[in-house]
Amino acid sequence: MNDLGELDRPGTPTSPGAWDARSAEPLSPASAIPPAPETAAGSEQSANPAAATGGERPENREAATGGERPENRDPAISGERPENREAATDGESPAEWEAVIGRQPSAKPEAVTGREPSAKSETVTGREPSARETGTDRKAAAPRRGAADPVKALIHRHRDLCEHAVDPLEIAAGLEAHGITDRTAARFRHRDVFSLAEEMYARASRDGDTPPPTPPRAPRARADWALLTLLPGALCAAAVWAVRLTDGRTRLFAAAAGALTVALALHAALRRGPLSAADRTTSGRTTTWTAWLIGYSLLGDGLLLSAVAGGPDALPTGTADGPWPVTTAPVLALALACAPAAWITHLFKGRARRRLAASRGLDDFAAAVRPLLLGAFALFLAALAALLVLCAVALDEPAAYAEVLTLGALLFLARLLTTHGFTYAPAVVLTATATVQAAALAAVFTSRLPGCGFLATPVETLVTTLGAGGVPTLACGAAALALLIHATRKLTRASAHAPPEPAR
Amino acid sequence: MRIGLLTEGGYPYVGGDARLWCDRLVRGLAQHEFDVYALSRSQDQEDEGWVPLPPNVRRVRTASLWTAEDDDVALGRRARRRFTECFGELTAVLCGAPGGSSRLGGSTGSGEVPAAGRAPGSGGASGGVSVSGGTSTPEADRFANALYGLAELARDEDGLAGALRSEAAVCTLERACRAPGAHRAAREARVPDLLAVAGYLERALRPLSLDWYEDNGLGAVDLCHAASGGTAVLPGLLARHFTGVPLLVTEYGVRLRTHYLTAPDAPPAVRSLLAAFHGRLAAEAYARAEIVTAGNTHARRWQERCGADRGKLRTVHPGMDARPFAEVGESPDCADPDTLVWVGRVEPAKDLVSLLHAFAEVRKRQPRTRLRIVGAPAGTEGAAYLGHCRTLAAQLFPDEAEGPHAAGDNPVSFEEIGGPELPAAADAYASGAVTVLSSVVEGFPISLVEAMLCGRATVSTDVGAVTEVIGGTGLVVPPRNPRALAEACVALLRDPERRARLGAAARARALELFTVEQNIEAFHGIYLEIVSRAPIRRVVLDEAGAPLPFAVPAEAHLQVRWADPSPSPRLVARGGPGWATEPPVRATTPVPAPEGAR
Repeated sequence: MNDLGELDRPGTPTSPGAWDARSAEPLSPASAIPPAPETAAGSEQSANPAAATGGERPENREAATGGERPENRDPAISGERPENREAATDGESPAEWEAVIGRQPSAKPEAVTGREPSAKSETVTGREPSARETGTDRKAAAPRRGAADPVKALIHRHRDLCEHAVDPLEIAAGLEAHGITDRTAARFRHRDVFSLAEEMYARASRDGDTPPPTPPRAPRARADWALLTLLPGALCAAAVWAVRLTDGRTRLFAAAAGALTVALALHAALRRGPLSAADRTTSGRTTTWTAWLIGYSLLGDGLLLSAVAGGPDALPTGTADGPWPVTTAPVLALALACAPAAWITHLFKGRARRRLAASRGLDDFAAAVRPLLLGAFALFLAALAALLVLCAVALDEPAAYAEVLTLGALLFLARLLTTHGFTYAPAVVLTATATVQAAALAAVFTSRLPGCGFLATPVETLVTTLGAGGVPTLACGAAALALLIHATRKLTRASAHAPPEPAR
Repeated sequence: MRIGLLTEGGYPYVGGDARLWCDRLVRGLAQHEFDVYALSRSQDQEDEGWVPLPPNVRRVRTASLWTAEDDDVALGRRARRRFTECFGELTAVLCGAPGGSSRLGGSTGSGEVPAAGRAPGSGGASGGVSVSGGTSTPEADRFANALYGLAELARDEDGLAGALRSEAAVCTLERACRAPGAHRAAREARVPDLLAVAGYLERALRPLSLDWYEDNGLGAVDLCHAASGGTAVLPGLLARHFTGVPLLVTEYGVRLRTHYLTAPDAPPAVRSLLAAFHGRLAAEAYARAEIVTAGNTHARRWQERCGADRGKLRTVHPGMDARPFAEVGESPDCADPDTLVWVGRVEPAKDLVSLLHAFAEVRKRQPRTRLRIVGAPAGTEGAAYLGHCRTLAAQLFPDEAEGPHAAGDNPVSFEEIGGPELPAAADAYASGAVTVLSSVVEGFPISLVEAMLCGRATVSTDVGAVTEVIGGTGLVVPPRNPRALAEACVALLRDPERRARLGAAARARALELFTVEQNIEAFHGIYLEIVSRAPIRRVVLDEAGAPLPFAVPAEAHLQVRWADPSPSPRLVARGGPGWATEPPVRATTPVPAPEGAR
């Protein structure tokens, strides 16, 4: 049963007074000779102001004003209580014990007179009137201490607890944790700790204004994810460079190896840092469709063009000028955009958390986060556009801005939602987009069957009016718009930015 | 009898709270079957595994309070509205906002209500419920209605975890906090506070989403025994609500007070709302339970304060195994008459510094006295404190050598149980004439009971349940008063006859009140009392699942009356049998009305 006692223990004082106050003096190097405990108590409390401000030891407070420890001063009481406890066996009258208890607050005034080791006789004489007489005499005997209101001193001693408490029971629990029992409460003329706590709660000053909460420190950017987000871009650049330099079968191997390493690097970059999913278990749902979308941006336009023209006649050669042209600039730009995406998400999360701490209501928070979200989105688009320009110039390819920007916006928003725990909508939207693109391709090929020529008409119209990029631009643009609207509704909710549950 | 034992972070887990007590209870009542329903508190706890279970534990079902299990149950529109209504009502009660009915005593800790205006003992505190007689206030009824409304919704919709985590819950909470009449702390709640409270409520209300309340779960037991307060009573309350199973609540530590002490740094809004929740939950549990047991008077006072009816309260002291101490307790006193012993875990709350100073005083008057401090430090803080005490002892009592060739010896020795000198705790007590307890904070003092079982005279400080435990069989001094402690020790050291008298009385008292046998016997009696007073009536089914007529004899439905409450002569004996005048008893399982039934 050794554990049950611990269950009901009222708790430990946060800083044990008996530990650091009384025993500090004998341990200090200045005092080679261990003094008697009473003198140690008296002298070190003046020398140790920290102990007096600790506030959880009743003795320290009083010692600071009266220069005296109330309990040490009255050996008659302490010496007498044990025997009274045993009144049943030793034949003393219980009534006298009651008198002793009732007298204890009144014994305080004697502190002013100072104490000798022979205080026993002095307190015994001083106790007799105070035990039986009225409170006016007691007050007269205590001109300096203001002992007529012991509760005030108690409130002062437990000031933090009283100002902090939200109801009287909290004060009661705190008092009990400091060792105050019903018998102690009797000294304050209260029936039990609860009624004492109620008085303290009613009398304590609570000046309304709680200090504004300190904004939580934004999570620091860490080197590991910062470097990892650079990895896909670097590897993709290397792969493009390798594909350009090599030829024939070697180029095939280089392309395959490049795709594999970029995929692995992307996986690693999304595993940690701000882009990591809130819930690891459901993160694999959209991988296939994301891969399709990126693959389409690499090969899809060329395939669609040649399909409309009746091809394709050959497999892609890995160059931009073959019969099935490959556009590498969008993929390279997207891979490089991992780093800005991670940083922007990091900024967004940090600022949203700060707004969360600062806002009073849910509406305030939503109003504060909405511009933040739109700003982050615009910032990402700008970064992506800049990267695309760079890539197009470096690779000497024409840049399909609309197509890449809509695709990047779609992927960024999907990831942003996923990292905040909303996995359903991104999965649906990505699946739908990929299906539309695949359907466009399939329609062109199916129209070659006899009697199905009408199927390709809308796609061909689109290609002739908007070019080959029209199909993915429209699909991704619509999807990104849908996700943006969804995000402005979901990501402005406070529950999306709740700090993670602490594991108890 | 079949008993559903409900624990939270407790029994079957190694290292759970109160597992020793539960283990002894289950093993001691081998004639009853136990179904254990355990809520685990952390991953570590689940990894540690279970203690070996006795054969009368028929099944163990566990659920975790710490994982965010994904149930993608999307509520329909009607269910969503029900959820918003119930949760809104629940949070409105927590915020102290008035509902449709008149508002009585619901000012949970608002700063405006002066304490002088309250009658002493009436619920001005967070419990806010009336103390007298188990009658419930409208506020308590609103809380209960909202809670059971959520429970029914969870049963209909297969879980509420998603809804409780959703934005709708946070919005509802915000609306309740901003409603007119909400008390000040709630009005000042900021968005992070709302999120924290919603998250906490979601975790605390997870038992609502469990599937434990079917006929093959808690519906099949005769009695639910919640081994602690707080979340562990929720399954018991729901089982009582759904299937009418009577509930017994045992609290060795009051959950509400633990809550106050464990979250002192949270913002006021969070503390206020969560304290209100715990207070209401405790009040509801006390109101619905058939019997509430407390470990000591102190816990009992808190329970009364939170609204428990005095007629339901029983004090069942924790039991200790008396066998290891029997030899020491019954043998004649062979201890060194000049030795004081302190036994316990070394930590700052034990105030060993005070003890050392008191011992210095003792040695001035009785120079041959020695002090043995026996115990291991608790945690890093305890280890630091032990080092501090060792240094202090070396400073206060320099080593004394008897002659030029003898090794110096310190009158204070620090030892641990388990070494060659002290193989067991009983030997530690046996080695001293007087056992000292110097704590400033104490719950139920285990070491004091052990010393009593060993028949040792004791000097202890007046903290916690010490006076209740010691009765008149030892000396009690004020805490933090080394001189009083020293006086008491000297008085006992000088008087061997008195020591022997006190020790014998202490052993007799401990054997009567604090043994395992009395603990188990008390719970056995309480089980029988509950089952006889609130029997659960079930329809017996045959193999095909149809109700079996006449399966339960008619006598089973007779209300047993041990004494006639009315002194008037019974006239019915002439007209017919006594039971015929009673209102007919329903044969089906009674589903009690959600409120006002008791």
